[in-house]
Amino acid sequence: MSDAGIGECRAILAGISAYLDGDADAAACQAIQRHCRDCAACATVVEGLRETIGLCREAGSVPLPDAVRRRARAGIERLLASGKRPAG
Amino acid sequence: MSTAVTKRGDVNPSSGDAERADYAALVRMAAGGDRDAMERLLMRAQEVAYRFSLLVCGHPQDAEDVMQEALLKTYRYVGRIKQPDAFRTWLYTTVRNACRMKRRRHVGEPAHVSSIEQGAIGADGEPASIDVEAPARPADQLVMDAWINDRLRRALNALPPAYRMIVVLREMEGLSTREVASVAGISEVNVKTRLHRARVLLRQALEGV
Repeated sequence: MSDAGIGECRAILAGISAYLDGDADAAACQAIQRHCRDCAACATVVEGLRETIGLCREAGSVPLPDAVRRRARAGIERLLASGKRPAG
Repeated sequence: MSTAVTKRGDVNPSSGDAERADYAALVRMAAGGDRDAMERLLMRAQEVAYRFSLLVCGHPQDAEDVMQEALLKTYRYVGRIKQPDAFRTWLYTTVRNACRMKRRRHVGEPAHVSSIEQGAIGADGEPASIDVEAPARPADQLVMDAWINDRLRRALNALPPAYRMIVVLREMEGLSTREVASVAGISEVNVKTRLHRARVLLRQALEGV
């Protein structure tokens, strides 16, 4: 995978998620960053996963469709108007 | 929306703690009779139910029923709440169970399709990719297409269900590793392992769609 050797690449790739989640310690972060400066393949993988995580997080913040929100709102109004109290 | 990257490499650390505290505050206010807080909490419960139904289970035709169940159970739950800080985990577990039960009630459906977290096991002992997406009604499909990036949705559907749930809970819903472990019923180590594999598979799927 790289001039630095497949073994080193495998070790780096195994720690990528911890690195991207901010769970890796400073030494591990430096090792990944140093490796990726010399290994274009691993750098591409890191960037690809970073982009993937970003895409998921963006999707998670998209509001629901208006029609769905209207139905949800109507359900709440019906429930609260029913006069039932939450079980205590 | 751009994706920020810190010096340590992490992508936009999710505001999970703030979200959890926000839920807990809403639960306390709702339990104390605050109608506005109750309405906001019930809306969130239904939003969670809708997203989970579509993204994890892939069954848009079940979403409305699961939303209704989340609405009623949250309303009842608030009246007997003892640990407001645990509300978020309770909500996602409730929604997951509602999705499973909904699937089980469908006549003639194979039992394995009901299991969100187990899925099929491949030759390597890991969850295998199986298609759990039931045929959607055209109207449901239109809503889904308009709501979420089609490329991402198809890539998510290509994941084994057990991996898809971890990705959705952790990346899209912003639950902590511990919360995901509690909802999925697996260890935190397993959550991290599955999340890493799911990210790699998702990346491959995104490149292929």
